[in-house]
Amino acid sequence: MEQILKDFISALRSSGARISIPETIDAMNTVKLTGYHDREVFKDSLSAVLAKSFHEKEIFEECFYKFFSFDTFPENTGDCPESLAPEIMEEISPLSQMILSGNLGGLAASIREAAQEVHITGIRFFTQKGLYIHRILRHMGMDKLKLDVKHLFQQDTFYSKQMAEELEKGKDYLFENVKDFVEQQFALFSPSVTENLLEDYLKSIKLSNLEQRDFHRMHSIIQKMVKRLNDLHSRRRKTSKRGQLDFRKTLRNNISYQGLLFDIQWKKKKVDRPDIVAICDVSRSVETVARFLLLFLYSLNKSLARIRTFIFCSNLIEVTHIFDEYPVEEALVKLQSGIGLGILLGRTDYGQAFRDFEESRFHLITKKTTILILGDARNNYGDSQTGILKSMHERGKRLIWLNSEPRSFWGIGDSEMKKYLPYCHLARECNTVHHLERVVDSLLSLES
Amino acid sequence: MNLLHDKKFASIENVQQGLKNAEYICSKKIATTVYLAYHLEKPILVEGPAGVGKTELAKTAAAFLGVSLIRMQCYEGLDESKALYEWKYGKQLLYTQMLKDKLNDVLKGAKGLSASIDKLHQYNDIFFSRSFLEPRPLLKALQQKDGAVLLIDEIDKSDNEFEAFLLEILSDFQVSVPEIDTIRAETKPFVFLTSNNTRELSEALKRRCLHLFIPLPDPELEREIIRIRVPGISEKLRIQLVSFIQHLRELDLKKIPSISETIDWARVLLLLHADKLSADLISETLHIILKFEGDIKIAEEHLYEMTRKAIKEAAI
Repeated sequence: MEQILKDFISALRSSGARISIPETIDAMNTVKLTGYHDREVFKDSLSAVLAKSFHEKEIFEECFYKFFSFDTFPENTGDCPESLAPEIMEEISPLSQMILSGNLGGLAASIREAAQEVHITGIRFFTQKGLYIHRILRHMGMDKLKLDVKHLFQQDTFYSKQMAEELEKGKDYLFENVKDFVEQQFALFSPSVTENLLEDYLKSIKLSNLEQRDFHRMHSIIQKMVKRLNDLHSRRRKTSKRGQLDFRKTLRNNISYQGLLFDIQWKKKKVDRPDIVAICDVSRSVETVARFLLLFLYSLNKSLARIRTFIFCSNLIEVTHIFDEYPVEEALVKLQSGIGLGILLGRTDYGQAFRDFEESRFHLITKKTTILILGDARNNYGDSQTGILKSMHERGKRLIWLNSEPRSFWGIGDSEMKKYLPYCHLARECNTVHHLERVVDSLLSLES
Repeated sequence: MNLLHDKKFASIENVQQGLKNAEYICSKKIATTVYLAYHLEKPILVEGPAGVGKTELAKTAAAFLGVSLIRMQCYEGLDESKALYEWKYGKQLLYTQMLKDKLNDVLKGAKGLSASIDKLHQYNDIFFSRSFLEPRPLLKALQQKDGAVLLIDEIDKSDNEFEAFLLEILSDFQVSVPEIDTIRAETKPFVFLTSNNTRELSEALKRRCLHLFIPLPDPELEREIIRIRVPGISEKLRIQLVSFIQHLRELDLKKIPSISETIDWARVLLLLHADKLSADLISETLHIILKFEGDIKIAEEHLYEMTRKAIKEAAI
């Protein structure tokens, strides 16, 4: 039982539930207490010990049904020949005997046994399926079965031929069942590895090459990233600022000690959360990247209190409220189609965008503000309005430009990046999630 | 505690029946978790929507065990001195004033400052001893001789720091008071923690607890709950009422009515001497189950349809 429980826990782990060693020990104790005769009780008690959040409960349910499903062989191969010649039966291998006598439970058990022998729990990639099927079959005695079939055919009597055919059928059937079994085990034990591989891959791939179907996965990666960064930085700030005596509070608290100051109170300096103005280019030249940049801004918007978001193409509009009101997918579709927002999706015009910003929203920039611009700076040879960018640079705390093109392309063709460069505190190439993470990290740490 | 209550916790069925006798109808899942928590001596972390009876479970468990319930409501800014212990400053001060005269006797014969201090040192622990310790809920729970049920309510409302501070108590059932010593529980208390999931709790805390998620009840369980909690209500009304509430929960509401609201509503209907539901009756009393203006409006739109369905279902 212990082995089965261990396997089950590793199946849970690979599906994404985090289970520690003490919890495993608890699970063992639990099973000792409740036993495993009652399936419901068994499930409930393991669930209480192992799955510790609503999300994990869902994973648990799914895994439990997959893992503890009983795969008896469905009634199959027709009736085994009634006239089994006992003398032949004694000669053939145990596996063949089981097939001929229709011992389905025995077959299922022997598959499980063989699977444990060949360590099926180590299966990670779908390419390993064939290998494991082969190993299990060999372990069960497939070779002997084949030999039996050969011998029976050679004997050339009516009974032996009939049995040989029966065995052939049984062999195919067995193969199918082992295949199903391996599939099932693969589904149980592999997901996290595959998932991790995929995540790593997604993090380093260029944003413009990402496909729509990876969108959800990407969203969760970015959310994780934003949360981690947020946790990291908000915690650091809490402890770093203390040490000024709060005299009034100290006096008040110490009245009961006859004014003797022995319970001293410190003033804690309140630290500002980052105050960010983000301006994102959504024109066609950056369309594919923009989707993910917007996704990123969305996550940022959810975790930082003070962020104002603007998008532009031919003109500039504020979209903070869209992020606040709609769930992520709706919001992104709305922003990319631009319907009902008053944005003109014509030629990209950085000059116009900057003018719009200066006209109506310039007051947002204070000496605490970090300005974040996301775009490729390809201005279709229009007026670049570097003057406005310069005043933004002077007025704000920092100006960061994330460009989706590699550095060597800056300033080539209609790219105005070289002109904007002097007014950026930081200009980075940003086209993978790794880049994003690095930028945000520096953004937050310099903030505090 | 184990020796005292082993009989009550002999089997899961016993627990379920015992809780039922204390007027708490629970699913087998809840009973299993309580049973496990008792035998593994672990706290239970209870999560679920508001009003499904998380706090009630702890109260009932106390009644079932026949021990006292010690409740600690968590809130932002809750700290050690409010949760664990505090020195009785006033008493300390008063005693020093009163004993001022005695001081002369004590110091008699001591020459010079250092000799006096040495003499005083012989008495130094007097003012920081157990008699000057003001126990707060956590310490109180550890001090109970017969054991207790400790309810730490809405742990998600407290700060991260406080959560970390709880770890020592939850895993070892002991606390360290620097001036005295480590205080160990005489009998381990039965601990319930409840959370409304307003923030994610730390892994470390979760690891030390059993986790129980109480969902909204299915119709059968809810009917049973109403039968026990509101005994006077007629059979027909009870079935109609539960059926209506179940339909109501399917609507897109801001605050879905929970068990406590169903119970309240049943009591009100009983007071009004109703014996069956009707659309008018419902619209008059809707504000008891729904707590938002917007929700009431949404519900009113579907009122007739839902009433019809509820009555029809009850007739089957």
